[in-house]
Amino acid sequence: MSNTVHVYDARADHATVTAESPLAYSFQRSGMPAPGEASGEESRAVIGERAFLGHLILRGGAIVLDEALREVLGIGLPGRPNSLTVDADGQRSVQWLSPDEWLLIVPGDETFGLETRLRAHLGGSHVAIVDVSAGQTLIELSGEAAHEVLMKSTVYDVDPHAFTVGKGVTTLFAKTSVILRRPDESRWELIVRRSFADYVYRWLLDAGAEYGIGVVREDRHESQ
Amino acid sequence: MSQTAAQPNRLAQGGQVDRTQALTFTFNGHSYTGHPGDTLASALLANGVDLVNRSFKYSRPRGIVAAGAEEPNAVVQLGATEATQVPNVRATQQALYDGLVASSTNGWPDVQRDIMRWVGKLGSPFMPPGFYYKTFMAPASMWMTYEKYIRKTAGLGRSPTQPDPDIYDHMHRHCDLLVVGAGPAGLSAALTAARAGARVILCDEQETMGGSLLDTRETLDDRPAAHWLQATLAALAEYDNVTLLPRTTAHGYHDHHFVTLHERRTEHLGDSAPSRAGHRQSRSRLHRVRAGQVVLATGAHERPLVYANNDVPGNLLAGAVSTYIRRYGVVPGRKLVLSTSNDHAYRAALDWQEAGREVAAIVDARTAPEGDLVAQAKAAGIRVITGSAVIEAKGAQRVSSARVAAIDVDAFTVTGKVETLECDTIASSGGYSPVIHLASHTGARPVWSDDIIGFVPTTVAGVTAAGGAHGVYPLGEVLADGVEAGANAVTALGFATTVNDADLPRVAPRHEGPACALFQVPHEKATLRAPKQFVDLQNDVTAAAIEVATLEGFESIEHVKRYTAMGFGTDQGKLGNINGMAVAARCLGQSIPETGTTVFRPNYTPVTFGAVVGRHCRELFDPERYTPMQAWHVAQGAEFEDVGQWKRPWYYPRKRAGGELETMAEAVARECRAVREGVGILDASTLGKIDIQGPDAREFLGRIYTNKWQKLAPGRVRYGLMCGDDGMVMDDGTTSCLAENHFLMTTTTGNAAPVLEWLELWHQTEWPELDVYFTSVTDHWATMTVTGPEARKLLTDMTDIDLDREAFKFMDWREGHVAGVPARVFRISFTGELAFEINVQAHYAMHVWEALFERGKHFDLTPYGTETMHVLRAEKGFIIVGQDTDGSVTPEDLGMHWAIGYDKPFPWIGKRALTRSDTRRENRKQLVGLRPKDPSVVLEEGAQIVFDPNHAIPMPMVGHVTSSYYSPTLESGFALAVVKGGHQRMGESVYLPMADGRIHEADIVGTQFVDPQGERQHV
Repeated sequence: MSNTVHVYDARADHATVTAESPLAYSFQRSGMPAPGEASGEESRAVIGERAFLGHLILRGGAIVLDEALREVLGIGLPGRPNSLTVDADGQRSVQWLSPDEWLLIVPGDETFGLETRLRAHLGGSHVAIVDVSAGQTLIELSGEAAHEVLMKSTVYDVDPHAFTVGKGVTTLFAKTSVILRRPDESRWELIVRRSFADYVYRWLLDAGAEYGIGVVREDRHESQ
Repeated sequence: MSQTAAQPNRLAQGGQVDRTQALTFTFNGHSYTGHPGDTLASALLANGVDLVNRSFKYSRPRGIVAAGAEEPNAVVQLGATEATQVPNVRATQQALYDGLVASSTNGWPDVQRDIMRWVGKLGSPFMPPGFYYKTFMAPASMWMTYEKYIRKTAGLGRSPTQPDPDIYDHMHRHCDLLVVGAGPAGLSAALTAARAGARVILCDEQETMGGSLLDTRETLDDRPAAHWLQATLAALAEYDNVTLLPRTTAHGYHDHHFVTLHERRTEHLGDSAPSRAGHRQSRSRLHRVRAGQVVLATGAHERPLVYANNDVPGNLLAGAVSTYIRRYGVVPGRKLVLSTSNDHAYRAALDWQEAGREVAAIVDARTAPEGDLVAQAKAAGIRVITGSAVIEAKGAQRVSSARVAAIDVDAFTVTGKVETLECDTIASSGGYSPVIHLASHTGARPVWSDDIIGFVPTTVAGVTAAGGAHGVYPLGEVLADGVEAGANAVTALGFATTVNDADLPRVAPRHEGPACALFQVPHEKATLRAPKQFVDLQNDVTAAAIEVATLEGFESIEHVKRYTAMGFGTDQGKLGNINGMAVAARCLGQSIPETGTTVFRPNYTPVTFGAVVGRHCRELFDPERYTPMQAWHVAQGAEFEDVGQWKRPWYYPRKRAGGELETMAEAVARECRAVREGVGILDASTLGKIDIQGPDAREFLGRIYTNKWQKLAPGRVRYGLMCGDDGMVMDDGTTSCLAENHFLMTTTTGNAAPVLEWLELWHQTEWPELDVYFTSVTDHWATMTVTGPEARKLLTDMTDIDLDREAFKFMDWREGHVAGVPARVFRISFTGELAFEINVQAHYAMHVWEALFERGKHFDLTPYGTETMHVLRAEKGFIIVGQDTDGSVTPEDLGMHWAIGYDKPFPWIGKRALTRSDTRRENRKQLVGLRPKDPSVVLEEGAQIVFDPNHAIPMPMVGHVTSSYYSPTLESGFALAVVKGGHQRMGESVYLPMADGRIHEADIVGTQFVDPQGERQHV
């Protein structure tokens, strides 16, 4: 490891340390209506938090980062702005954020190892890799009215024909900003800053009320 | 006409109302019935209600004139309860529902016995244009009193005094083509675009889509137009790429084809939105549409003729008469006189006669009308008087007769004998004005067309007018025009269209003769002496008023408008503007195009504030940012302070022995003592944190900060000051050297985002050659400050970091674990006491926080809030940017020469400005400490400072207090302040005159009140 940057594994052992996701307080305070609970009919919009994933910000030249990612992770940088690449099992993704900035999302326990291997591979190249895993969280949104919930929230064109699978943008959401992306046909992902997560959660519950919005608990996600 | 008989004006059949269901509603306290499909206006007319309002200025009785958005009189107050009051509702646009309660907006104390009527009658000769300007100008202090009274009598509607029970929301929409108006032009445009595969939004302000097809006499494919209308709407509904928005008014056209649409979702259902499937639904919704292209198919408004007493109830637009008969099955009277300048209006007389009521005569201003409708009227036995017009209506509360005479349109004179025709209704038509409001919102100026005797819109690129909206009136041409507009719009966006004339329904050919240009009808008397001839009914502007305005020298139509109030307010000149321009043009002896038109502004019709606000209200008004310890703070009963969007604990009041909560002063004193004598803890997670990586990171810091960074070794921390390029302090904070090419910068809570932008700005625009990257990690790291003499003892058993004062010095940082969690710990202090700032990933913040309190039981670990933080830092003279600085304070003004590296090789930001004569001058306001002579005094923040309290007023003010608190440690009030030349005035006295006459005296002292040698933080 190069000693020019200070890299250390700041992830605690979740077996001995209680970790709280960014939405933990919101679930407790605003509740988690189960899908179908609100009206007895099927929820046309469903949300859920994918907590404790590894979020890394990559900054640097596209060519060196692309090469390193292909080598280390098996997927490269997305070829175009406002898009993302997802690996075969859908667990790892790279999203373009700005001309020299990408967001890498991986299972939480892979974060430090990945950063270490990337740095080793990148050698002396001028790049920055920053762990922001605890600074943001990922909210999944699905259901037939998902894009209507988004239309009530963001100025971006979220018509499924215009916002195609594989697209990802940073945009305004109500009065905050989110990273909004569509990894596959069935769901949208919102990446939200931790301190704004409660506001976004309350906004989603409100905007989704007319569609009978429900919240799925994390364990259901992991069993999927 | 009796109002006790059930709906005396309702026809036994015809129209699109459901006579099998009765809806009960209340207007001005009287109960009436109507049917589903009615508007409030059609139901009132059905019940024979003539009088719906009193006029704005003269308090004259007024009735319903129109059937749509252009209605000037029937503007009512709606709402059965105080909380559901809605002002400014046009009865012509309000769908009837069971239980509707409405009342007249104008008319105080009530519409039938209006005391202002007498003022209007007696006072009207004394109420010329500009009356209010002229009469109520002086004394200026009385204006508020006048206004209150005028408003009450004028009655512009009122807001509810109770909270609105309903919610409103927004929806952002994008489309290839937005079509405004679902009449024949809009429908054919939308259908054409839909077939091409474009994303289409079709909106229409009425309860039912169809526009003129809803009341036309014409046929499509030899069947009533309703058949084609239903088939077309059904076809459009089949397209996935089409969004139909009925009851939706396009009220504002903004830049770049951003159009706002107001959808009234439940206003046809009741006073308040009914819930649906257990969910609240929004009462109305603002659609914020970004369109690629826009087709304006907004149709045309009929112009009334301007004749004497044309405001007496019973004077209606000819087209409105047809609409009420054909669409609602309501004939608004018994005996009709129609005064017209064109063929099209003849249909009103035909519809009237077919409804079984009497037509006294059609009075046509043209000498030889010749179209098909004229022939039909004659064939039906209706008397047609040519070359003539209704010059005056007679009647008080309702028209009783019409005075008709031959006129010379060009000479503006009455040429023949006056004949009085008995009637109760006068319908008039002076032609049609394309609805150009939305096109006008874009800034495009309309142009006059002699062909259609009206203004037609010019449009900006991407906007097309279709049908009546640009003066194309015959139905067959309108349909074709819509197809062309729709096809052109989507072709411009790259869609392939196949326009096939065979797709269009067949329209029976109909010949219409040319109309004549008639606006104001001449009277035997000159305009100034004739009975009032109203141009703008809503604002009570008469032809005489416009003439007076021109006589008084107002020549610009914009000035005439403002002087007379023509086209003001919610009306926006829909009915009267063109007539007003015509009158002004006549008075000025010029043409209408020479006179020009005024600008129509958003909104086309009023939009409720709720819809503008949407869900951005109450608990969703603004984001509240929380730290990971928020739940704990709430559970502890913390009081919160807003810092930017963050909620930060302000202080933690504890229960006193008696069970009462401490006051803020008591809590802060306790928290301060805990930190000075034991150990306290602060949630400092809101501090901005920026991760900086790159070989040139150190060089970059040297240019951004005023002080030096070359020698800061890994493991060390340094305080930094940041200036703007004006040399004024803009932020401060500590930056740690994590590794040779890796730094962690902290910023003030409020400046986290601006500082990151500042760094990116300088890197991207000025020094792109520096290899460095910045990433915000504010939310990733939670920060807790453990501070006080007992801090080391508290942490000793909780961490694997060597806390020895020599191994871990002041301004060092170390990596290790705290409570089993990987952490970086920084020995920096904002209290002047021994302090450790612990950074852990935010996921584990609560775990560590609670572990600290578990261990802290033995040390009475005391949480403290921002107020205590402020007192403690002020006792040490540590500044807060934005409180002790205000954008006019240099580092030297703060006495922080030690933090300025004038000899750094590269000229850092602000250096140049700090060599200017103004920043070098002696007498600048400088930061000092103030010690009040009376220790019980806590000076007011912002209080002005003078050197000589006996100086004559105005006293020269030499500075002000920036921070002031009571110090439990000093047992005295103390303050930070800026004072002119303060650094040279140590020990001198200054005075602070207060608003209540007291004058406080204070000594200028150093800024470090506690531990001036700074020994305690090194322990």
